[in-house]
Amino acid sequence: MAELTRPRPARGTHSASRAGSPADGGTRLPTVGPGVPGHVLSHASGGRDQWSDPMETPPADPEQGLLDCLGEVLDPELPISLVDLGLIYAARLDDDGTARIDLTFTATACPCMAFIREDITDRLEQEPWVESVAIREVWDPPWTRDRITERGRRQLGELGVGV
Amino acid sequence: MTGAEALSGGPPAGDPDLTSPGLEGSPDALRAAMGRLLLTLADTKRILGLRYSDWLLGAPAIEAGIAASSMAQDEWGHARLLYATLGDFGEDPRVLEHERDAANWTSLEVLDGPFEDWAQFVGRSLVVDAALAIALEGLKAGLYAPIDGRLAKMLAEEEFHRSLLEAWCTRLASGSTEARGRLGAAITGAFPAALRWVGPGDGPHARLREAGLTSGAPTLRAALVGRVRPFVRSLGLDLPGPASLDDDWDGTRARGAGQPDDDVVERARGDRNRALFVE
Repeated sequence: MAELTRPRPARGTHSASRAGSPADGGTRLPTVGPGVPGHVLSHASGGRDQWSDPMETPPADPEQGLLDCLGEVLDPELPISLVDLGLIYAARLDDDGTARIDLTFTATACPCMAFIREDITDRLEQEPWVESVAIREVWDPPWTRDRITERGRRQLGELGVGV
Repeated sequence: MTGAEALSGGPPAGDPDLTSPGLEGSPDALRAAMGRLLLTLADTKRILGLRYSDWLLGAPAIEAGIAASSMAQDEWGHARLLYATLGDFGEDPRVLEHERDAANWTSLEVLDGPFEDWAQFVGRSLVVDAALAIALEGLKAGLYAPIDGRLAKMLAEEEFHRSLLEAWCTRLASGSTEARGRLGAAITGAFPAALRWVGPGDGPHARLREAGLTSGAPTLRAALVGRVRPFVRSLGLDLPGPASLDDDWDGTRARGAGQPDDDVVERARGDRNRALFVE
């Protein structure tokens, strides 16, 4: 199956490429309710105006570190993270700093595939311990709404989206 | 050795058809047969998506047009996944998708022209979608991993198409005499070609079956009849009897004679946007 690998750009060249960010004078948005993070109001691709700063030290558990980062990346259409939407099937870090992500989509013709790949890559490449990102597109098992996490369901529910 | 292993080029020990020298039954022939099947599936889905898209704003109800839009997207998503596998067979997916003449497209012939009305949309699509699903399910029984990993998602999406098409068939069949007549004509007009297409039973398909990569032609044909006939009969309609179409079978393209119209192929290839392609 095709695996897309993109070389790492220079640090600091990829932030908020399609919207304003705190660094550009944007403002972090307030929490809108219990369990609903402020970034659900973000209009920046992937919620990047609300992404955390890079970790100061590499995570003790690289897989969890990758998932924590991806937990900040919003789906372009639903205001929850790719992790809570259940699109991330695997995340691991090679010894050479390559972050390998198994990614699925809600539909075979998802119109946001390119955005999602770009948002994942940009978020992970913020981290000094990630040298490059390799995304593998997977379809087995197929995504269904059952893969949305409890937190994701709660966030969607509070925004009036039933799943 | 599995069919998938045979496709990888390893020695197909234990299968006399595959170890025999020469083109017949060789791994190369098996790969060619699988490539033909996948291209036929991809082309049919690509053209079907365009036929769906013709009705986004012409359906009897706006909700039906929205459904047609989603179905069109699904078919193109499936085509994308299928074309991508053809790189494993020595083909350039970009050339296949964007540079072939209409005469070399392998889509099912009942899609060569546009759906003339909504009855043709639902009647022909009921048959073609069923044939596509049966062909995919036939592959599911096989062992070609790149396809196996994509089938479940495609089949899940096809189930939504089936629900919509059956609902509209039911609605038209219970409507006016004219609506019922047009629906019946659309179904019976499409079925013989779909039946032959789903289970061609020629040499390449036989090689796939022998290698365990797909179900046999009789099984696939029976599955299509078993899926469509009970529903059609529940509408008070029926399928046509067996028809001999062998005279115009094109084994290279795994379809009947003719070709999709130039307009739809130009749209499928993206001719007008060729200068705008980006990597």
